[in-house]
Amino acid sequence: MMNTHRAVREVFGFFLSLGRKTGKTRVFALLGLVPVILAIVVRVVLHGRTGDMAAVFTEILMVFFLQFYIVILALFYGTSVVAEEVEGRTLSYLITRPIAKPAIVLGKYAAYSLLMFLMVAVSLSLSFFIMNAGRFADARLYLTFLSYLGVLGLGILAYTAFFSFLGTVLKKAILVGLVFGFGWENVIQYFPGSTQRFSVVHYLKSLLPYRPMGGGGGGVALLLFRLEPTSPAIAVLMLAVIAGVFLALACWVFRTKEYLYEE
Amino acid sequence: MATIREKGYSHWDGKLAERRYPWWPITRVGIRLAFRKKAFKFVFAGAFMPSFIALVGLYISERLEDFKAIVRSNETLINVSPKYFKTFFTSDGLLFLIILVLSFAGSGLIADDLKHNSLQLYFSRPLRKKDYLLGKMSVVFFFVLILTAVPGLVLFIFKMIFAGSFKFFLEYPWLPLSILGYSALLSVFFAFYVLLLSASSKNTRYATILVFATYIFSNVLFGILMSIFHKPALALFSIPANLQQAGAFLYGQKLPFAFPAVWSFVVLAGICALSAVVLNRKTRSVEVIK
Amino acid sequence: MTAVIHASNLSKWYGNVLGLNDVTLDIASGITGLLGPNGAGKSTFMKLITGQMKPNIGQVTVRGRKSWNNPVLFRDIGFCPENDVFYEEMTGWEFVTGLLRFYGYSASEIKERAAKALDIVELTKDKDRLIRGYSRGMRQRVKFAQAIAHDPEIVILDEPLSGLDPLGKRKLIKLIKEFKSQGRTVLVSSHVLPEIEALTSEIVLVHQGKILAQGDIRFIRELIESHPHMISVRSSDPRALAARFVGDRSIQKMSFGADGRTLVVETHKRDDFFGCLTGAVLEGRIEVEEISSPDDNLQAVFEYLVGK
Repeated sequence: MMNTHRAVREVFGFFLSLGRKTGKTRVFALLGLVPVILAIVVRVVLHGRTGDMAAVFTEILMVFFLQFYIVILALFYGTSVVAEEVEGRTLSYLITRPIAKPAIVLGKYAAYSLLMFLMVAVSLSLSFFIMNAGRFADARLYLTFLSYLGVLGLGILAYTAFFSFLGTVLKKAILVGLVFGFGWENVIQYFPGSTQRFSVVHYLKSLLPYRPMGGGGGGVALLLFRLEPTSPAIAVLMLAVIAGVFLALACWVFRTKEYLYEE
Repeated sequence: MATIREKGYSHWDGKLAERRYPWWPITRVGIRLAFRKKAFKFVFAGAFMPSFIALVGLYISERLEDFKAIVRSNETLINVSPKYFKTFFTSDGLLFLIILVLSFAGSGLIADDLKHNSLQLYFSRPLRKKDYLLGKMSVVFFFVLILTAVPGLVLFIFKMIFAGSFKFFLEYPWLPLSILGYSALLSVFFAFYVLLLSASSKNTRYATILVFATYIFSNVLFGILMSIFHKPALALFSIPANLQQAGAFLYGQKLPFAFPAVWSFVVLAGICALSAVVLNRKTRSVEVIK
Repeated sequence: MTAVIHASNLSKWYGNVLGLNDVTLDIASGITGLLGPNGAGKSTFMKLITGQMKPNIGQVTVRGRKSWNNPVLFRDIGFCPENDVFYEEMTGWEFVTGLLRFYGYSASEIKERAAKALDIVELTKDKDRLIRGYSRGMRQRVKFAQAIAHDPEIVILDEPLSGLDPLGKRKLIKLIKEFKSQGRTVLVSSHVLPEIEALTSEIVLVHQGKILAQGDIRFIRELIESHPHMISVRSSDPRALAARFVGDRSIQKMSFGADGRTLVVETHKRDDFFGCLTGAVLEGRIEVEEISSPDDNLQAVFEYLVGK
């Protein structure tokens, strides 16, 4: 039997290659062009007003990325880690190979996370640098870009791990995922006090390179409304813990659970 | 000795009779299949929450004296009028719950048939394309009407019961028509919308995402564009905004966005027309293999 | 002979439905046919052997090791599932090489093995086409290729001949028989008796989750021979036909159907009867509309075996 590390790598390679080709990946990649088009439109409309553009990007386009795009991507690909094999009845091909079952979950998770990250990175890069063209000499611009990319990357890892876990446990994971991603996350993040810490997006927003004005509302109104940020170190730790815990649970459930095809 | 007998296949000699409503079995089965899912029953029951809250609001409006001690506000705490009904019917919460219910009940309506190549089975019966589509749409009509028209009319009736008079009806005799009209608009639009997205994939999970994500995305896009350009007409990009605009018009209330309501009707009709074209192409009785 | 696959008191429920009912069985090397009607439990048994399902009661071992959650076993097992499902966006080549990656082979070895497997199933020419565009027979063959590409000692084939044309079946049967001569263990399932008969004489009869019998296929044939065949002939003049059959010793019993157009014949010697029927039709110029026969009908054999 192959060692787990190598098995994960092989599964990763298999599904990265497969995932690139599907029509659904193309559709989601096209969805990532929306902020790019918006960036071009905004650039034309707000031509020359650099400060406005940075604010527009942060406040508005990051809402698209943070509260819609990565959630939708993670929901689809995360639940697909196990659910698509069961629905498509291709699970037999994987679990009758000499590889540990958790390697299948980890390898697929890694492949889909990379795929999503690439889609998001391309979309973010294009839209960000279009919005901020003319500021390329400013080193802080690149730091800001990298922090946005990092936030979205961590979001992908955390959300995908959670939805992967849902996919291993539930038959209708996508619906529970929708309620979580667009119901719970959209509501709880605005609760005052510690309650908002029960959402993934709280930690992601805590890492953004902006802070709410005094009073918790203020300039960056849309995105950081009522945010009581957690310290960046704790936020990164929490996201890593969320990703790690749910991934571990997904591996454990997949290893112990029996998946029957629906007749 | 036990006889072992198996007849070979032979054609049935009888004459196929046409049903009066050939689409009805499709609708019946579609509804039944939705209720088979345990989680759906929970979500469906939850979708009546706004109606229940509205009913409680109606009750409170008639029992204001009883609640004054608790509420400690002025007499017009809840003023039940056509605006109250319009607020209930066009609320983001109700529309969100409808979309959630339809994601459960509607996303697989055509996707499953495409996945299992069932279209040939349907059309080898005395069933026309329009019967098939009407049957599928009726599943959506059922769920939307039961969440809109039924609670709306019940609320209207209960208002009069709690008030103990027909005064409300005499003041607003057109209100039931508004309720029915807007419910019909929601049913027809969501039927076309859900079937369009269900027909776009053989994968029900993907279709579910599409139904939900397209709805949410349209609103997110509107929010983004509005924040940048501050033009109310950008609400035309948002499905819920268009439904709210159309709803305000049908209830004779102030429009939420500063543009003619007819534009919203055009957008909604355009989506329905697109859906009709796509559905016509997708529901072919013989698959063309490329 | 040492058992390669051993099942003891193996039982499996699907909710309230009993899929496999207290099965105790040893399968030795060579080709063993798993024969049973649809829904008998053949696929369930194979999925338990290949660790895709967990037994509710009892256990199944392959070479002395439990199959549930034991991926090390799969180095030596090749499985060809019944379902006609694939990663449709892949070509045949990508599918076989992709799955070979999970065995730890080097890149060159993967290519070599994949090429060999696809050559065996005669898909070399079409290896770069998308599986989505394959015919039913090609899909079955590429499924077989992925099962044998890693040279497994034990091959589990669930209805491998379904969907194949007669020529394709012959080729695959020949291939499976070669495995036996190489000393491998093959477990192949089917609900069609002649298919199993062409492959092996060692069979296991499964019905309603139970093992009805295990052994040589000849005894099944004897059962069928000793059990009278029912043949139904629909014609324009069944009585004229019956008159011609009365003297034929191969016929044990005749009766007429309620519709007045059907003659039902019981015979121990099918071939003799059909010869007689042909003669009767030609000489008497009697029009025959339909002939139906439960011959080789496994359901009938099983019902007989279980005493229905």
